[in-house]
Amino acid sequence: MTFLGLAAKNLGRNKVRTGLTVLGVAVAVLTFLLLRTVVSAWTAGADHAAKDRVVTRHKVTFVMTLPKRYADDVRKAPGVKLSSWANWFGGRDPAHEDEFFATFAVDGKTYFAVVPELVVGEAQMAAFLEDKSGCIVGDMLAKKLGYALGQKVTLESGIYPATETPWTFTVRGIYTATARNVDRVSLMFHWDYLNDALPEARRDEVGWIMSRVEDPTRTADIGAGIDQLFDERDIQTLSQDEHTFLKSFMAGFSAVLTAFDIISVVILAIMTLILGNTIAMGVRERTSEFATMRAIGFLPKHIAVFILSEAVTLGLLGGALGLVIAFPLVEGLLGRWLEENMGAIFPFFRLPLPVVGLAFALSVALGVLASLLPARTAARIKVTEALRRVA
Amino acid sequence: MNEVSPAGEPLIRLRGITKEYTRGGETLRVLENLDLDVARGSFEALMGPSGSGKSTLLNLLAGLDAPTQGTVEVDGKRIDQMSEGKLASWRSNHVGFVFQSYNLLPVLTAVENVELPLLLTPVASSERRKRAETALRVVGLTDRMGHYPRQLSGGQEQRVAIARAIVNDPLLIVADEPTGDLDRASADDILRLLETLNRDLGKTIVIVTHDPAAAERARITHHLDKGKLRA
Ligand SMILES: Nc1ncnc2c1ncn2[C@@H]1O[C@H](COP(=O)(O)OP(=O)(O)OP(=O)(O)O)[C@@H](O)[C@H]1O
Ligand SMILES: [Mg+2]
Repeated sequence: MTFLGLAAKNLGRNKVRTGLTVLGVAVAVLTFLLLRTVVSAWTAGADHAAKDRVVTRHKVTFVMTLPKRYADDVRKAPGVKLSSWANWFGGRDPAHEDEFFATFAVDGKTYFAVVPELVVGEAQMAAFLEDKSGCIVGDMLAKKLGYALGQKVTLESGIYPATETPWTFTVRGIYTATARNVDRVSLMFHWDYLNDALPEARRDEVGWIMSRVEDPTRTADIGAGIDQLFDERDIQTLSQDEHTFLKSFMAGFSAVLTAFDIISVVILAIMTLILGNTIAMGVRERTSEFATMRAIGFLPKHIAVFILSEAVTLGLLGGALGLVIAFPLVEGLLGRWLEENMGAIFPFFRLPLPVVGLAFALSVALGVLASLLPARTAARIKVTEALRRVA
Repeated sequence: MNEVSPAGEPLIRLRGITKEYTRGGETLRVLENLDLDVARGSFEALMGPSGSGKSTLLNLLAGLDAPTQGTVEVDGKRIDQMSEGKLASWRSNHVGFVFQSYNLLPVLTAVENVELPLLLTPVASSERRKRAETALRVVGLTDRMGHYPRQLSGGQEQRVAIARAIVNDPLLIVADEPTGDLDRASADDILRLLETLNRDLGKTIVIVTHDPAAAERARITHHLDKGKLRA
């Protein structure tokens, strides 16, 4: 028998209580992980945004469009290497009413150069450029909706309602991505195809202009330079690096994210209180045992270490169990489902390693925190008084 | 077994012991200017009415508590002014405790309970086990080593507790009403065992008891009344 062996044996004394406590910690850790993963998945796009990319949009709101000629001006702006443009099409496949995926009308010749994280095979790209009604879809979207090369896809759009002929595209390419956080459930088609079919009044408008800059450290300056070009024009622009752009897009959800942040902390606080109460209860029940040990010659610090090691073990077990549940749940079930069905919002819904580490460390640290007060109480018992109470 | 010392020199020497408890501003004097000697190798009993201070006195001479006034000397060492840490280590080396309700740890087997005090010593773990088994043999429980306290009778539990008290080979064994929770037959067993430890192993034993049969086995019985010893 060893000192720590004795601590371990005490955990086995009330198996139901120990089990429930471990389960409680596990549930708290799991909840914490889920909330944190939502927050981090939500901001993942912005965090991984290309640093050498500037997005130029209408100064008032990104819902309003810019004249197409602005794109030519931006391309010539100082510091700009390449640029392209896109419109939000808002398409929906009537054959798959419930599936949401992003659809963009893009300048096919330049778009994929400005967004190099989308990878399309050379032959497919050539076929796409050849076919004015061609489109390129993400590999995950293709898999989910069964889109294959050469297939015709008809979409409906609330933003651009079809007039005589419906919006029909031919799948010419399937793109993959260079990074896991890139959305692979989008559909892109030729902006020209859209523009030519629109009524006169809506022609030659673009949703936003994206540019790659020569010097990524000067992205902000170059963006300001672009905006200056249009200062005196009828429509002013706002150019932001992609990170800031995505951030401002997500700002609308920031209240929700903050709430998630707060809840995740509150859950850990509640867990600590419950754990503390359980430990305190166990300590109170064993007052006479601790007094006996003290009489035999054990020191207050021995008793404190004893209780701390029990709490750490509870935290470790609970944390480990939480992770063991979280991994298959998030990586296998929830993450896959979200990526496939809500890929535009959660292109990459996986447990971030730092969060996993944090959750595990916190479950141990909070175990220690929860046991500090009971450990102090137990270490300070008056031996003679505690022994009297038994007799 | 015990260190040789000048003949007639008592193992325990209490002088001018006063013990007061203060509760909510009120002071209760439990022991008053009390002197007591316990000879080396003696078996002595403390008797007296409930509340007369027997347990308090026993705790003082075992180094569990400090007197308000007076000196406690055990084996030539003043223990009344030792720090808590020093006193704890002194107790673990010199005193074996036996309690009325045995106070075994329920999560440990008999032999593990006996090993417990050895965790504080540098003794290697295999040697710890061996010594614990020896102590259990002394109290006649070789066949119950792996049993948990709840699987033992009261008398057997008290034997395990006595084994725990002697495993460190202490000078002194103190027992506060060791037979208080036992029936007559078990109580006699325990008393015989204590007698044997005293006679054969030379342990100095001080017990608190209400049981006249127990007191009879002691060589000397001290009567405590209202904080004073009565001759
Ligand atoms: N920690 C304490 N605080 C206050 N009073 C105490 C404390 N410990 C003991 N007393 C009081 O001191 C007196 C003597 O107590 P003690 O336990 O020594 O008596 P006792 O002779 O052992 O009695 P019993 O035969 O009932 O065990 C009692 O009146 C008791 O209430
Ligand atoms: Mg008493």
